[in-house]
Amino acid sequence: MTGQDVLTVRGLRKRYRGRRGVQANDGIDLDVAAGQVVGLLGHNGAGKTTLVHQVVGLVRPDSGSITVTGVDAVAHPEHARRLVSIQAQANVPISGLTPRRAIELVGRIRGAAPADVRRRATDLLDALDLGAWADTPAEKVSGGVARLTAFAMTTVVPGRLVVLDELTNDVDPVRRRLLWQQIRGLADAGHGVLLVTHNVREAERVVDHLAILDRGVVRAADTPAGLTARLRGSLTLEVDTVPGVPVRWHPAARDAAAGHLRATATVPSDAAAEVVRWAQDEVEAGRLERYALTPASLEDVYVQLVGEPADVTEEVPAA
Amino acid sequence: MTTLTAPAPTRTDGLRQTLLLAQWQLRRQSQYLPLMVVVQVFMAVATVVGYGLLVGDPDPVTALFLATGAPTITLITVGLVMVPQMVGQSRIEGSLDWMRTLPVPRIAFLLSDLLVWTLIALPGMALGVLAGVLRFDVDLSIAPWFLPATLLVSLTAAAVGYAMATVLPPQLAMLLTQALVFIVLLFSPVSYPAERMPAWLQTAHEWLPIEPMAQLVRAGLAQQTFAMPARSLVVLVTWAVVALAGAAVALRRRA
Repeated sequence: MTGQDVLTVRGLRKRYRGRRGVQANDGIDLDVAAGQVVGLLGHNGAGKTTLVHQVVGLVRPDSGSITVTGVDAVAHPEHARRLVSIQAQANVPISGLTPRRAIELVGRIRGAAPADVRRRATDLLDALDLGAWADTPAEKVSGGVARLTAFAMTTVVPGRLVVLDELTNDVDPVRRRLLWQQIRGLADAGHGVLLVTHNVREAERVVDHLAILDRGVVRAADTPAGLTARLRGSLTLEVDTVPGVPVRWHPAARDAAAGHLRATATVPSDAAAEVVRWAQDEVEAGRLERYALTPASLEDVYVQLVGEPADVTEEVPAA
Repeated sequence: MTTLTAPAPTRTDGLRQTLLLAQWQLRRQSQYLPLMVVVQVFMAVATVVGYGLLVGDPDPVTALFLATGAPTITLITVGLVMVPQMVGQSRIEGSLDWMRTLPVPRIAFLLSDLLVWTLIALPGMALGVLAGVLRFDVDLSIAPWFLPATLLVSLTAAAVGYAMATVLPPQLAMLLTQALVFIVLLFSPVSYPAERMPAWLQTAHEWLPIEPMAQLVRAGLAQQTFAMPARSLVVLVTWAVVALAGAAVALRRRA
């Protein structure tokens, strides 16, 4: 189910003043439709948190517009907050409460009836397999359980737009899958979901649409397949190298990069057969340990667009 | 699984949300709640007993000053010290930022904190009054408006404290509260008449909210001996309005 836009961002700019002024957002355009899971990918410091804080009126943009289901969120932040629920990047401290109590209280603060909130909290705790910790004081639960509790607090009475910032940090692989089911369920129920993350591989599997944010600008926005289309004619060759033996690449290999006992290169897909034969010969001759040829991934596209994360800047504090 | 949708907002939402936020704060503090009440009681009683040691056997008016000063000090410390410390704490641990993403009127954050701390301070205030009566053997004449008056005092103090904690960096605000305790305890005409202070300090207190707070509580507890000057009431109400507006602006402020 895809429909009307729940979030429309146009030309959003925000500069933090101060000694080291930071242009956190530099003209962002972004759309999230009802029923859609949109991934917002970017390094630390790319401007993700600043964007999110502007949607709920914690930060005021210098220019540009934010519309949440037709409501001007810059002019009416209190109205926007009723339409949006947010899971923050840092865990919300709930020491003294239990996960169940925290989820129920937030649900009631968001205006739902006590009986409905109790039922929904129990459903969420079961769906995320948190039953064993539901009534444990929060100071005694692990980081992963705290993270899942924060997710349940955000979605107990979900807004039309649900923003999830780095939600899978600390969460074990089994519960991650449960989490993805919940997110899909939210979208199927007609909510728009904005998934803020720097985990490219994870995003690739669950989102309908992706925007890649770098230094405050959206560099590319498309479906995962659409974004990787530009690399459709090429494949990635990964090789495990033998210590002390440098790789003598096949002539078709381009953009070679080497790490510790591992190297990658890009090869055109029509040279795939030759390259495989070359790699097999190298393995048999003892000059390579192993090799693998894979389709270009979103990670390749991401790295091509924003570069290696060598210039990581500090996350801008959103006051 | 079906998701819930938030109902349309109604007129009483703000009040309901304030109470729920207060419940959130109380439950988060629940482990230390009994200890905090005990400390408040201890402080209120210790103020009375300590002043008694300082002054020996006071005359009746001095005794009345001391007995009515203790509850005032409890009320002021809650707003000016406890509230900023609580806000500072939640700013440092990061919970305030997330709470602010909830669809709650900004002033509800202030009112819920105030409610929580007033509840925590109430036993201390009551026992402070009782300790004063017993220690100094005074007769109180409580005015019917005493309760709303104490609310005005704690609301004003909490609003000033809240504004302080939201505008200043958290660590600085928390340090400042420590200094304020001394100013309120020793250098304000709360437990002794203003005439004992140097002239410049008297002038300063004519414009600060502490003296009117003390006068209001004093007149509320011993209305046969003390009256509330109209000017002081105007000063206090002005502070209340300005501080509430300041706290509201600070809470609405967007970076």
